[in-house]
Amino acid sequence: MSPNTPSSGFEPVEPGQTAAIEMTVNGQRCSIDVEPRSTLAEVLRTNLGLTGTHLGCEHGVCGACTVIVDGAPVRSCLMLGVQAHGTQVLTIEGLAPAPGEMHPIQRAFSDKLGFQCAFCAPGFLMTTWALLESNPEPTRVEITEALSGNLCRCTGYRSIIDSVEHAVQITTGRAAGSGAAPSQETDSHA
Amino acid sequence: MRESIAGKYVGSTVTRVEDKRLLIGEGRYVDDVVVDDMLHAAFVRSTMPHALVTGLRVEAARRHPGVHAVITGAEMQAYTNPFVSPFMMANLYTPYYWPLAIERVRLVGDPIAIVVADSRAIAEDAIGLIEVDYEPLPTVATLHEALDASIAPIWPKAKSNVLMHQTHTFGDVDDVFSAADNVFSETFTAHRQSNQPMETRGCVADVSGDEVVFHANTQSSHMLRWMLAAVTSRERGLTSLRGLRAQSDKLKALGAGAKAFVTANEDELSKSDSSGMPYLVRKDPSILRHLNRITANLLAQDLSSVPRVVADDIGGAFGVKGHPGREDAAVLAAALQLGRSIKWIEDRNEHLMVSGHSREEEYRISVAVDDDGTIRGLKASLLMDNGAYPAMPFSAPTFSNIIKVMLPGAYKWDAYELDVRITASNKCQVVAYRGPWANETWVRERMLDVVARKLGMTPEALRLKNLHGPADLPAKMISGPTLDPLMTARTTLERALEAVDIDAFRVEQAEALAQGRYLGIGFATYHEAAPGPSDFADAVRPGSKPALNETIRTTVDPDGMVNVYTSQMPHGQSHETTYAQVAADELGVPMEQIRVVFGDTSQTPFSLLGTGGSRGGPMGGGATTYASRDLRRQILDEASKMLEANVDDLAIVDGNVHVAGVPARGLSLADVAASVASTPGAAPLVGTVDYDGGDVGWVQATHVAKVEVDLDTGFVKILQYLVAEDCGAVINPAVVEGQVRGGVAQGVGAVLYERATYDADANFQAGTFMDYLIPTSMEIPDIDIIHIETPNTITANFRGVGEGGMIGSPPTLTNAIEDALGPLGVKIREQHLPPTRILELAGVIAVE
Repeated sequence: MSPNTPSSGFEPVEPGQTAAIEMTVNGQRCSIDVEPRSTLAEVLRTNLGLTGTHLGCEHGVCGACTVIVDGAPVRSCLMLGVQAHGTQVLTIEGLAPAPGEMHPIQRAFSDKLGFQCAFCAPGFLMTTWALLESNPEPTRVEITEALSGNLCRCTGYRSIIDSVEHAVQITTGRAAGSGAAPSQETDSHA
Repeated sequence: MRESIAGKYVGSTVTRVEDKRLLIGEGRYVDDVVVDDMLHAAFVRSTMPHALVTGLRVEAARRHPGVHAVITGAEMQAYTNPFVSPFMMANLYTPYYWPLAIERVRLVGDPIAIVVADSRAIAEDAIGLIEVDYEPLPTVATLHEALDASIAPIWPKAKSNVLMHQTHTFGDVDDVFSAADNVFSETFTAHRQSNQPMETRGCVADVSGDEVVFHANTQSSHMLRWMLAAVTSRERGLTSLRGLRAQSDKLKALGAGAKAFVTANEDELSKSDSSGMPYLVRKDPSILRHLNRITANLLAQDLSSVPRVVADDIGGAFGVKGHPGREDAAVLAAALQLGRSIKWIEDRNEHLMVSGHSREEEYRISVAVDDDGTIRGLKASLLMDNGAYPAMPFSAPTFSNIIKVMLPGAYKWDAYELDVRITASNKCQVVAYRGPWANETWVRERMLDVVARKLGMTPEALRLKNLHGPADLPAKMISGPTLDPLMTARTTLERALEAVDIDAFRVEQAEALAQGRYLGIGFATYHEAAPGPSDFADAVRPGSKPALNETIRTTVDPDGMVNVYTSQMPHGQSHETTYAQVAADELGVPMEQIRVVFGDTSQTPFSLLGTGGSRGGPMGGGATTYASRDLRRQILDEASKMLEANVDDLAIVDGNVHVAGVPARGLSLADVAASVASTPGAAPLVGTVDYDGGDVGWVQATHVAKVEVDLDTGFVKILQYLVAEDCGAVINPAVVEGQVRGGVAQGVGAVLYERATYDADANFQAGTFMDYLIPTSMEIPDIDIIHIETPNTITANFRGVGEGGMIGSPPTLTNAIEDALGPLGVKIREQHLPPTRILELAGVIAVE
């Protein structure tokens, strides 16, 4: 998922100056001046006030800051705001179809009490969104693997995986693919 | 007695109130707080583990555009007080220290100066312009170096790196040990682990308005408030006698607590040294000057200058956010000094390096046991690292007191002795991490497996022979507390053994071994005081019980909404849901009519505790029960006047107060509240309780794991994980199971992945999540839970589950791994078993 390169019309800036960028966030076009060194996460949180995206580690490991850029999940702590120039960005605030409602994924996590402190929630929800876009009926093993780039310190993951399975049921009207228990054959840290 | 109530919500998996905002990105975590004209802080931190600071050049940073201030430790000292631990103990040297280091740094990450700038990025730019000269000093990187008298003390006035040495003896240990058939001894070592919630620490000191507001992600907002007041109120507070009067309630509460402590400890206090104070003052008389100044400042403090602490949503904590940070105090002091509001959000590297570690301990343990497997005596010597600066307000010495009580477990011992030495090192402070005493269970349950093997018994047979059970309860733990007749630790073991079919597994294990595969099973049985019997607190520390009570206040708004005010500080435990379930059932109103109010010291009941120690369910849930009953009684009294009906004939159903069976002639809670409000002189409807845990006793569990160890990769595959627990009445099954599974997951991480590593010179080596390995969805197995509740008549029989998962899992896994590798003669005497270590222990690769 390489970040998009700035599209034409983007002007390089001198040190100390801000850069004018345009992007579409949750369906709304915005034109903002950002510091060239600001990450996309900082731009979303500080410039746009969209604090639903969280920074957990700022080095691309925990996944809490995951947002969708042009359809693909991106660690917004590792992408500069200027790199998002000309893109379509989707954040947790943009998931629900209307104020006061929930996206089926959010409803599934509510039904299954998927989270505890929920600081990691934006990342898991956006990663789940991307998973279900590319694979609407994942097996439990596929869900477990797809979520393995997001850290949760509270739940032990079971309730999160259950929530995603439930989201599949809600969105497809069917039970999730019958996968076996999560594979432990490789040590992903080793 | 458990009264019959409309049990509509308690016991059901109700969806979470919290999720209505958290799932749509509308939570308010501390980094989401923005106040007018806010500046941002970053800290200059020591790159040396132990050194004198011989030069500190900050002028270039001060001139950097966008920088508002660079404040050094020496500068801040002029307008702050040091942190002084309120928990003094016999023979404990507990040093006082300042928000920022002055002259000497004692660990990598020690804050030396605070930079305040227009943005965090500019503050960090400025840090790059600051030069620090160090004169390195010898370091203490291990428990054993702390014992080496040739290494200079980190705290010179302590005259040693052993800060406390105490021996606790119960029964005639020498007699029991000399009479027993066998004495087996081992040494077990646990490694540094860290809480690492997904949200780091942070705060916003808002000085823009009439009152100082300190936004923080704290587990205990009142304790943070008064600790901040103590450190930042130097002189500035000596302004108002009105302030002194305004605090009279709190002073009375503090006075009552002190009186209770003195009364309970009269004999002890009359002896020299038992309070710890004379010992400390002999070591360092200057502490008296600071204590006197802090006390005078606090007493004369104008209440409006004591910060109001506000905590909203918190991204996890597991103990680490129960400790007021030096950074918190430095940020507030800087904001007050500059007259500007300041935000500080810790980054992950700082959080890994300085927020808090736990459990670096070594136990030399001996068990006296007869040939038939009857255990007789337990003797242990504990070395416990406390890091460089003792965490506020409590740290390893306090945890060692709980270890002292819990190490024997629910087993029958004739005699017991624990020798404790608390050491200083040039490493991160030691904080409460989810069952901060948990290594008592690891060591005991590990040692019982060792003893069983030596005696040729199965581990389960040895445990069943020696565990207290229904036949001999009530009994006393050798360390003091009562094991009541409803204590089910033994039952959890029996149920767990049935559930995993241990005999079938032994056959499967033997067959696998014949094929060169290493399968193992391990288990651990423990109990925990959540809330614990009434004599538990005094066994830990005499006189401490009154301070452990939980207060809840309930009110009804004119619109009929019920407020539950709590000093509990939720950070993932779902208090807003579970307390609403309890209150709604007690009051007979829909859950939607309950609002749980927390986090803001201007609204919540005073308590120096908060959320921790698995107290949320038992203490907060119990207090909510009683405070709701109190409110219900007041509502019914008022309604009986309004309806001209006998109070005993009234019921509240779905929020409608009416004569039983005649719902049509009913009143809403709003009607009742409005009536009270419009009656001149009528006392408002306020339910309250100061709850002491009642007759609710221990929480207990047995964990079982089946593992397969792969000797090609060193990887431990968890084939099955089971928890059989008795936490009494379950308020919300999904919440309880989430707590249990989350705790187990952290124990899996602790054993197989996580380690807060230092090199031999005390340089921190685990500064990112690529070094400190938090388990992912791929590493955590499915965890099955069997819930046991013994029939009983206890009101609000809620028992805590926050910590148990983490207490039970390290012994369970390490026991299973030793069982798997037993045929190779592998002995597991350490807690951290990543793949390389497994391969070393199994002799597959050479030891580094």
